[in-house]
Amino acid sequence: MSSMTAPSDLPKKSVPAAPTRVGGITLFARREFRDALASKWFLLYTVAFTVLAVAVSFLSLSGVGSQGFAGFSRTAAGLLNLIMLVAPLMALTAGASSIASERERGTLLYLLAQPVSRAQLLLGKYFGLAAALTCSLCIGFGISGGVLAWRTGGVGVGAYATLVGFTVLLALAMLSVGVLISVGSRRSSVATGIALFTWLALVFVSDLGLMASSVLFKLRVQEIFGLATLNPLQSFKMAVIVNMNASLDVLGPVGAYASQTLGNGLPWVLASSLAAWIILPLALAVVLFVRRGSV
Amino acid sequence: MKPVQFAISICLFVTSLTHAEKAMQATLNPVPVSFVVELIEKAEPGDVIRVPPGVYEGNLIIRKPIILDGGQKAIFDGLGKATVIEVVAEGVTIRECAIRGSGMDVTGEPSAIRVIAANVTIESNTIEDVLFGIDLREAPSANIRNNVIRCKDLEPGRRGDGIRLWWSHGCVIEGNVVQGSRDMVFWYSEDLQILRNTVTHSRYGLHFMYSHNTVLEENDLNGNSVGVYLMYSNGITIRGNRMQNNRGASGYGIGLKDCDDITITGNALLANRVGVYIDNSPSSINSTGLIESNMIAFNEIGLLATPNTHDNVFTRNAFVENEEQAVTHGRGRLVTNAFSRGGVGNYWSDYAGFDLDSDGIGDVTYEPKSLFGVMLAKEPNLRLFVHSPAQQAIEFTARALPELRPESTLIDPSPLASPPEIKLEIVGTGVGGMRMFIFSASLLSFAAICIAVMGIERGMPAQNSGGRT
Repeated sequence: MSSMTAPSDLPKKSVPAAPTRVGGITLFARREFRDALASKWFLLYTVAFTVLAVAVSFLSLSGVGSQGFAGFSRTAAGLLNLIMLVAPLMALTAGASSIASERERGTLLYLLAQPVSRAQLLLGKYFGLAAALTCSLCIGFGISGGVLAWRTGGVGVGAYATLVGFTVLLALAMLSVGVLISVGSRRSSVATGIALFTWLALVFVSDLGLMASSVLFKLRVQEIFGLATLNPLQSFKMAVIVNMNASLDVLGPVGAYASQTLGNGLPWVLASSLAAWIILPLALAVVLFVRRGSV
Repeated sequence: MKPVQFAISICLFVTSLTHAEKAMQATLNPVPVSFVVELIEKAEPGDVIRVPPGVYEGNLIIRKPIILDGGQKAIFDGLGKATVIEVVAEGVTIRECAIRGSGMDVTGEPSAIRVIAANVTIESNTIEDVLFGIDLREAPSANIRNNVIRCKDLEPGRRGDGIRLWWSHGCVIEGNVVQGSRDMVFWYSEDLQILRNTVTHSRYGLHFMYSHNTVLEENDLNGNSVGVYLMYSNGITIRGNRMQNNRGASGYGIGLKDCDDITITGNALLANRVGVYIDNSPSSINSTGLIESNMIAFNEIGLLATPNTHDNVFTRNAFVENEEQAVTHGRGRLVTNAFSRGGVGNYWSDYAGFDLDSDGIGDVTYEPKSLFGVMLAKEPNLRLFVHSPAQQAIEFTARALPELRPESTLIDPSPLASPPEIKLEIVGTGVGGMRMFIFSASLLSFAAICIAVMGIERGMPAQNSGGRT
């Protein structure tokens, strides 16, 4: 965030002069952010996520909440399921419509006529959407965190901060994938369709497939763990759990194996899986967008 | 105590100036434990020996029924050799001593205090850096109270036991704090009272082998491999204890192995790998197990039982938000146990029924059927996928397609509509709530600042070409 808002000498520049490399990105990031705020999806997703997160916080505390010892971990377990469904959906669809809709409307030509490179344009759009998504998530987590504080009178702030942090990472990773889809699609509707299919694949199909293959092929624990970390959603889930419990033994033999062999390095392995999901699709999207030449 | 006071106390007991001088020195330099041996030799049976502050090095054997009072400033250091204090006389009391530095060699089972006589009291001692803490061998009617025991920092398998009883009937073990030991273990010892002890970071918190007719009350067993493990021990009452965060390969709050006539009431079993584990208990004909009014919450598995388990009665328990509420170890069902007594069952947080007549009892039976649970029993590796939408998808599929539904693991004919009142400490604090508020507020203000900084139009002509989608 700071790299976007920090040193830019924007106000001095008049429009015709070519902005600096960072300045160009910032310019488009801001434009994208403003567009996002003005659009319905930002409002819709923010409201939906906030309402669901508050509902989960309430439900997970009902029944035992009055007895006061309901720890954060069960609330987190409820939130985990919600986040793994909603956050990728938000980010994938937002990313998917980014370039494709401009292309479809014809505004992409106009944008490319500006004195900035194609890479700057794409990165600007990515950072703008990333900022909008982060804000959206922060609003949702902020309000449901307030509910938790009020209802339980004290839960692990560190654990909650971890959950927020990794959710932002997950959203950024899914946004990268969404932007990649968008770069490759001619029409906005096609991009959204592919994004929804990708969401289905990452959320359900890959897990079910891995379950089936671990049973059918009698995969060893290290193979299951390795394959699971390839899925950003599983990496996200394991990272949140390992940061909350200091161990993955909650996840049975596979988790215990990961905790024992990787030890303190485990959160870093999982975080770097997420980081790879942020960087690689975005880099590929930039390369494709630059090499495409035409609109 | 100040040096002058030691001198006075020593003079009272021994009336010897040389001893007083030695006592003054003891605060500065370690002295051999033979100094204390001399004090004991000069004392009459029943005397209180106030050991002057200081470090006493070597191994002490007490052969006279005396009261050894360390006044919280006498340190007995075994210098890493053998047992530090051995009690061979009946009726000895050791209190307010610090004891450290037993041997390491497992073969001699070196301890801080070993007792081989009856009616001994060991009270308010601090024990550190030892292999075994307090070891009672054929030492009936002992009182072990308010000691703090920290064992040598070894791998769990190489540690000694914090407190061990062997053929010692009628003892009271109360208010002790044991950290980082192997077990607090009771062998062939009957009619014990185990009250208000705290065991943390050990292997088994309380471990019973062939020890019958004992009461365990209000103990706190936190962060061990297993909280309470009863093996081949009958007639045990486990009441009002707290077993929390007992995890690892075993990870049981309470484990029962071939035990008859066990009563488990009013305990809190929280966030263990398994809340209650039952292996073939009760094992004899005409005996039962009663599990009543316990809070079994937030465990990976609330109740785990071997398929041959039968004749246990579960009533008024609250099974709250366990990842799996009640399952068998392997295949089979728990239907040969009663989950209701006199028309009163248990509270199950996943009960989806209703209570139309508002009598507190659900109008439909509780019969949990979890396809994912059945898959987990067959393929433990699949536990990796809990807390994920895929797990929900599998359960949903099983609900939608009856032919996929497994048999229920248990039947509670009269589930409670709301959780029974079970008194528990409140863990949440106002401080944490305040921090959480601040954190939430900062998240919101971050978003607000972001929107303010990024959203304000500057420098660029308006390009809002209509809202997107």
